[in-house]
Amino acid sequence: MRDPFNILVAGVGGQGNLVCGRVLADASAQSGLRPVVGDTFGASRRGGSVLTHLRIGKTDWAPLIPKGEVDILLGLEPLEALRAALEFAGDRTVAIISQTKIPTVDVNNEKYEYPSLEKIIDSLNKLCKQVIVLDAEETLTRIGSMKMLNSYILGAMGALTQSPLPLKIIRESLQSIFGSSSANIVAFDEGSEIVH
Amino acid sequence: MIDSKHETIMGGNEAIARGALEAGIGFCASYPGTPSTEITTILLDFAEEHDIYVEWSVNEKVALEAAAGASWAGVPALCPMKSLGLNVASDFLLNLNLSGTGTGGLVIVVCDDPRGHSSSNEQDSRFYAKAAQIPLLEPSTYQEAKDLVPFALRLSQKYEVPVLIRSTTRLSHSRGLVIMGDIPKREWKAGPLKDDLFNVPAPHFKHRDLLGKMEQISKTFDESKWNTNPAEKDLDVLIISSGISRRYSQEAIHLLSSKDIGILNLVTTYPLPRRSVVDALKKTRRVLFSEEINPFVEDEVRSLAIDLDNVPEFHGKRTGAIPTFGEMTTDVMQGAIANLKNIKLDKRNKIDSYILIPRPLTFCPGCTHRNFYWAVRKVRKRVGDKLVVAGDIGCYSLGVFYDRAMTTMQAMGSGIGVATGLGQLERFGFDAKILAVAGDSTFFHACIPGLINAKHKNSNLTFVILDNETTAMTGFQTHPGALHQESNQKRVKIEEIIKAIEPDFYARSDANNIPELIDLLHSTINKDGLKVLLLDSVCVLEEARRDPIVKETYFRIDEDMCIGEKCLICVSEFACPAISWDKTMGHPVILDQLCVQCGACVAVCPHDAIKEERVQ
Ligand code: SF4
Ligand code: SF4
Repeated sequence: MRDPFNILVAGVGGQGNLVCGRVLADASAQSGLRPVVGDTFGASRRGGSVLTHLRIGKTDWAPLIPKGEVDILLGLEPLEALRAALEFAGDRTVAIISQTKIPTVDVNNEKYEYPSLEKIIDSLNKLCKQVIVLDAEETLTRIGSMKMLNSYILGAMGALTQSPLPLKIIRESLQSIFGSSSANIVAFDEGSEIVH
Repeated sequence: MIDSKHETIMGGNEAIARGALEAGIGFCASYPGTPSTEITTILLDFAEEHDIYVEWSVNEKVALEAAAGASWAGVPALCPMKSLGLNVASDFLLNLNLSGTGTGGLVIVVCDDPRGHSSSNEQDSRFYAKAAQIPLLEPSTYQEAKDLVPFALRLSQKYEVPVLIRSTTRLSHSRGLVIMGDIPKREWKAGPLKDDLFNVPAPHFKHRDLLGKMEQISKTFDESKWNTNPAEKDLDVLIISSGISRRYSQEAIHLLSSKDIGILNLVTTYPLPRRSVVDALKKTRRVLFSEEINPFVEDEVRSLAIDLDNVPEFHGKRTGAIPTFGEMTTDVMQGAIANLKNIKLDKRNKIDSYILIPRPLTFCPGCTHRNFYWAVRKVRKRVGDKLVVAGDIGCYSLGVFYDRAMTTMQAMGSGIGVATGLGQLERFGFDAKILAVAGDSTFFHACIPGLINAKHKNSNLTFVILDNETTAMTGFQTHPGALHQESNQKRVKIEEIIKAIEPDFYARSDANNIPELIDLLHSTINKDGLKVLLLDSVCVLEEARRDPIVKETYFRIDEDMCIGEKCLICVSEFACPAISWDKTMGHPVILDQLCVQCGACVAVCPHDAIKEERVQ
């Protein structure tokens, strides 16, 4: 594993960025590594963009990932994944993104149009080494709700060969937060099956 | 908190709170403000278990005064606040420094917010340490954040001066591993106060004494294990860092694999550990300063170096090597080091980002503040745009993003203050109606003197209080007017205070009913004199927190009635995040998972297209 290994979680307030950060930090500590998690949650309750920076390594790295240094980008929302990638992605970045959009509000009359998914993925491909697009809507609606997207995407990440943390340990950390009977665990398992 | 091999994952603020427990504090008074809030929230959670007294005071000045009272009586005290809070408390601070803190000890924690993520400015509060001549400590790791609190308290107890710990957003709001210590057995007891706790008639002698203490403290800082010196003897570049900037500096050096570069990290940043700094300056050809917000350490070191025989080259905010505003990052340090070392950074090819659209902040779905600003917008039209809205700090500050719903917005309580001045300007030809807006927590914090001034001076204005009965912006802390009070606290009603001031007109209404709200606001601003409106403004987040909503009805848009693209009022003007434009359907849709069934949008649609339906 690179030291530091950098995971950036991009989403919208309310999507559970913070939980992703907590789970991965716990899993890192359980694996004997030193996690540092930096959250930008000032706007989280008001529907703004939220970023969680996770640094995993042997020392306490700075709380923000330097530009271009992201190893894994978890995009809970396509537009936010793009926003994060434009600022932080680089040659090593593997992006896992959910394709379900959360519309933006437009407070002063319709000026902007939410870009098409194709355009977003196209741009992400230019910014990252690899882009994996997840369609989680059907599965998650069946299990419960889109609220569990964070657990789902963690599962998908854990199953990647590039994951710095074993799937099993991430799962255990998720269990320690939600309890073992939570639908989040089901979502996590579904997510881990999707990337193979 | 997660335990792993005796280490626990903690946020910076959590670490400070834990440090306060390990220091053995007995008293904590604070006012909520991002990024400092969690310190007190956590101590409140532990208050009973550890038998400490913790309160959300009415404002930061009262909090500091209360904490000083405790310290004077021998009870170790903590007073956390955000940057701007220290402005409020500073009047007292610049007297307390001279009077001394007594034997209890008093630690003030100030959390600055570089870039102003959640603040109306990006002030550097370290200047208060210099203004008040009190010791200043800046942690750079979570472990230091915790361990500095007991050290600060001992220092305060020994010299009887308040000690300031300064954190910044990225330390307070990031997390890492911390080794916990023990919580000591209580050794203090509240006792009588000394009888010289004032500065008159000879404040200049008290000043002299304080400067003497600071001289001694500077010497003890020279011996301090908190500051870390570079190992190398002969350096090309010495980075002098403080706070979280240390870690950005370390990472930048790592990324550039730079040689002949070392870090002097200062935790005790005021008074400077002069001898340690001079020793380090002698070992280097150049110095690069790495700190957040202002060139505070930089200026101190520069003035110290004046007396040196060989002054190294200085690079920092004063020379433009580091940006003079905004946050510190690894990228900033990387750029500055690369410049000094003539290293070319390979810049990534930027791709065109034209498709990226902003995601503006807005009021929550169903937030009654939106209803209020919607009403303001309508009234503004009715009075031919002759309306000034003097705003205040809180959730409703988001009004600045909502059209031009707010004209001014500065400090806590300044809306009503500014309005009292504007309310005198008719004699000079000022012809706009004046509306001041504040929330309930802000009302108690700083609006009462302004309101009394308005009454006494006969200012012609309307003051609106949006009362959601909680401190919503920072996560629902209680305040004197909050609906839910602890059993040992008594509620103070805003309405009774207003009535006691006897405005020329007073009404209480509900921010849920938009048509009524527009009429009330319009008729009120047209009256003469001091008018006060108290609007019951439910916070849906707070409601949902207390009783999760049971959905009995839902809202939908009737496609036959809606005129779609030609209108879009509900989507782009009212802009409830739960209403979204659906291009393929040709009309907006209400997103069920976001809608909180407040029903406000029904009155907003001019075509009666938004309908309430019962859940089958
Ligand atoms: S305000 Fe009414 S008519 Fe206009 S777009 Fe919205 S629902 Fe349709
Ligand atoms: S009822 Fe209308 S205004 Fe209220 S939350 Fe739902 S969509 Fe928004």
